[in-house]
Amino acid sequence: MKTLLKTGIITLLTFAAFLLSIPNANAQSNNETDKTYIKIDVDGLSCPFCAYGLEKKLKKINTVSNIEIYLKEGIAVFSVSKNQKPTKDTLKKIVTDAGFTPSGIVFSDKPFALKDEK
Amino acid sequence: MNRLIIILLSIFSISSVFAQGPPIFTETPILLGLDGGGIRTFGRFISKENATIYVQPIGIPYNIGSKTQIGTVLRFINKNPNGISAQSGIGDLIFFAKRQLFQKDGKGKTFRLTAKLDQVFPTAKTNSTPSIGSNSWQSQLSLVAGYVTLKYGLYGQVGYNITTNNLPDNIIYNLAFVYPLLPQKYPPNQLNLNIGINGNFFTDINSNTILASGGVQWITSKTVLFETGLQIPIVEEVPDTQKTNYVLTFGTRILIF
Repeated sequence: MKTLLKTGIITLLTFAAFLLSIPNANAQSNNETDKTYIKIDVDGLSCPFCAYGLEKKLKKINTVSNIEIYLKEGIAVFSVSKNQKPTKDTLKKIVTDAGFTPSGIVFSDKPFALKDEK
Repeated sequence: MNRLIIILLSIFSISSVFAQGPPIFTETPILLGLDGGGIRTFGRFISKENATIYVQPIGIPYNIGSKTQIGTVLRFINKNPNGISAQSGIGDLIFFAKRQLFQKDGKGKTFRLTAKLDQVFPTAKTNSTPSIGSNSWQSQLSLVAGYVTLKYGLYGQVGYNITTNNLPDNIIYNLAFVYPLLPQKYPPNQLNLNIGINGNFFTDINSNTILASGGVQWITSKTVLFETGLQIPIVEEVPDTQKTNYVLTFGTRILIF
């Protein structure tokens, strides 16, 4: 009887743990697939002390995250939620308003592979 | 000739306080980052044959868009002449405006040209000896150019300063070379070497002054910069008793906007 009870409890706990893990797995999966990754080629990015202005402007984009600025490559990369993806014209205006010149904008469903400067 | 010192003092404390980013002693045409919305302050010791002068300006710029900047400069001045008592006070109030006229960007490089207007209001006291204020309205219009790459920065400024109350007008001419000693990266941890010249030619009296300038800057983060520099006269057409021995500057810039 004791063994039966023990087995029942373990089975219940295992089942509960399984149920709890399903939403998390879905959420994680959704987070990854719901993102759009954006790479902007920025001309005029010649000084680290003035790049902060660009970062501040990019931070104002809805749902933006993981902003990285690579000086040597002259690019800024970041991600946004797929349903909040800004247009190329909006991004061009942001870069221009920050005092730089946009020379190319690429959208991707996957993160860009870039060498970390830090 | 004592009035020359008043003008030179204005120029020593004005010309570089507006330079919100590198270089130290010359204006910059770039209005971004530490070149833009940052408070800048520094202490400046001016050692002369007949006096020691300390100036502590604080410059507060504000960017209106990416191509226009306005701001003000307040200065605390202490003059300590040989043989008579020292005088201290708030110096003349200064307003300035900068407008970018031209911008050409490439990958990792930029060339920019900016017009700048500095207006000095004679608000400081002039009833002391030595005087803290200039008792002169001064309007300075200049062109500032800069070519900045990831490897170096080259900056130049030419301007004309119109004065009132019988002070001599003057032409200013500054040139600076900035060389990063550490690899450029973002967020920055940057050490810059600054060298240059800072010149003034007083048109009414044909008197010229040129200072050789050198200094270092340490940019510790996205928003903070420390700097120090030394200026030594290489041409100074003033009476021997009023000659400058050296000008020592140390200060900081903090990005607030």
